[in-house]
Amino acid sequence: MSDTSTVNTENTFKDQEQKMAISARNINVVYATPTGDIPAVRNVDIDLPKGSITGIIGESGSGKSTLIMAIMNAVTKPGKITSGSVLLNGENDMLKLSSEKQRKIRGKEIGFVFQAAQNSLNPLRRIGQQILDLGRAHEVNDLRKLINYAKKLLIRLGLDADRVLASYQHELSGGMRQRVGIMFSLVLNANIVFLDESTTALDMLSQASVLEIIRELQREKNLTIAFVSHDIGVIADLSERIEIFYAGEIVEEGKTSEVLACPKHPYTKGLIKAIPKISGDIDAAEPLKGSSPDYRTFKQKGCLFYDRCPIRTDSCRDSRPELNITNRDHKVACFRVGANDRD
Amino acid sequence: MKNFLIRLVWRVFSGILMVLVIASLTFFLIRLMPGDPVSAQYNQLIMQGMTPVQAENQVKVMYGFIPDEPVGEQFVNYIWGLLHFDFGQSISYEGIGVSHIILTAAPWTLILVFTGLIASFLVGVLAGVISAIKRSSPTGTVLTVSGSLLHGVPQFVMGLLLAYLFTTLWPILPFGAPYDSSIDPGFNGPFISSLISHAVLPVVTYALSSYGGWLLTMKSSVITVLGDDFILASEIRGLKSSTIIGYIARNAILPLFTLFTLSIGFMFGGSVFIENIFDYPGLGNLLLKSIDTRDYPLMSGAFLLITIAVIAANIITDFLYTFVDPRIRR
Repeated sequence: MSDTSTVNTENTFKDQEQKMAISARNINVVYATPTGDIPAVRNVDIDLPKGSITGIIGESGSGKSTLIMAIMNAVTKPGKITSGSVLLNGENDMLKLSSEKQRKIRGKEIGFVFQAAQNSLNPLRRIGQQILDLGRAHEVNDLRKLINYAKKLLIRLGLDADRVLASYQHELSGGMRQRVGIMFSLVLNANIVFLDESTTALDMLSQASVLEIIRELQREKNLTIAFVSHDIGVIADLSERIEIFYAGEIVEEGKTSEVLACPKHPYTKGLIKAIPKISGDIDAAEPLKGSSPDYRTFKQKGCLFYDRCPIRTDSCRDSRPELNITNRDHKVACFRVGANDRD
Repeated sequence: MKNFLIRLVWRVFSGILMVLVIASLTFFLIRLMPGDPVSAQYNQLIMQGMTPVQAENQVKVMYGFIPDEPVGEQFVNYIWGLLHFDFGQSISYEGIGVSHIILTAAPWTLILVFTGLIASFLVGVLAGVISAIKRSSPTGTVLTVSGSLLHGVPQFVMGLLLAYLFTTLWPILPFGAPYDSSIDPGFNGPFISSLISHAVLPVVTYALSSYGGWLLTMKSSVITVLGDDFILASEIRGLKSSTIIGYIARNAILPLFTLFTLSIGFMFGGSVFIENIFDYPGLGNLLLKSIDTRDYPLMSGAFLLITIAVIAANIITDFLYTFVDPRIRR
């Protein structure tokens, strides 16, 4: 390989990084338990292109929330990030910055909406006071402007802004608190927003309206959004790209339309088959076979999905497949790509 | 505001009613104790070496003023007196007004217990926050162990231990009596410094034996709050750690607030063990003495003071709580 081509590939790599709001490489997170470390996220590479919505889907306990926390370097004990790098806008590595710099990035550049956003506010302070606390923490000079912006966002989210700012958390309903949580993630003009099952606790109608607002704001401000959910319908509706998470690893990723239209990994296929159709026979929906991965699964040498896989072969038991490109940016981690079910 | 006033008036009214009920119960309860003031004094005189006849005459002279009407009538008179703020006359102090005796003893107890309470609360709460936040470090462990140990030592053991250490082994502090009797009481330097040096041991004993309770309660409260979602949320929103510790402390201290104000109420019971060991003329000693001599009016008075203080502290707590915790406001 000649020198020029090396330079070229380096350049294209750099270009690509410039387009990425988040570029995480080789993330490993373990949870320390008395019986040893249990891996929660393993060798995960993930890119969030600027101005896109990425859906991260996986079953409970698959490590999807842990991954998001790892990207912000906010994994809580007993969890521990053992390796990896997270480039923010192609520059700062979140995992190497001083804790003060990390603090300034959290909230200001990366907004986060919680799974339990209903409980994400201090019960003893009014919402307005908490916005001021946030502003002071991030050295906002014009606090009045901040409050005005917060009001604007709250009105956009369909709330009575003045009332909400003067309220305590317990004076708001669950849906209102969720919206207040979204406001908190955006009020400092963060460009990157993580939503961790943020609409799971809402009923279908509130969920739909909140999702609609998120989509609007995303278009308007060209936000980069990562949306974590176990609801494949919500992800299909909202996201451009999708990451399928299984037992702490990404097993398939690509454009949402492409992955859902022609899934390659048997787990993805299984997930899609398991969705009941709105018309037709309810029994046409097939649940995934087997049980969710547990602590024994991680000790397997081979493919983590081996136990539940309908198209496994002996080689799947002995070595683990890596994420490989099948079609442009559609990647799958399976030796049996292209093989049909129940061969 | 109008609601608030109605609530206040109602609470005060029901508080007064409660005080009267408890005063009535106390009235009968203390008279159920074996013995009575006359026989208590009689026994004491016998023990001092008098013949039975001498002792009987002496008692008659001393306690001629004791009412001897039926208990029912005494009760009505007592309650009627209470309603006119007349708490009766002491028996063992030979006719001195109960309110006068109690008012003389109260300042001693207030100096002792209030100082000890405030000191132990401040130090205990602070240590509780630190031991919770640093619970996996040696600092946290040391603090927690210190709390558990001190919490486990009874006041009288603590008092005797400190007295032994600092008045006998290293005689740097005076023992017994509230001040040096050779100094004239008054607002002057030597008297005040004597007061303070005599108060050190009892105050420290009180503070040390209640420090552990505050520490352990605060620690568990802080740990509960630390697990709350909004603390993680505040961290992920990038709030300053000083702000977050403020959030934690304010939320964690709520359960202790009630305990603290109730302790203020119970303060008026004095600290029987400590006052006894250090011969401090406070309410605790007074209560003990009145029980020894079966001094019914004084006992009633001392118990009544505790009753009123605790009920008042309760009412005040209820109202203050609405300012401290917005969730209670209606």
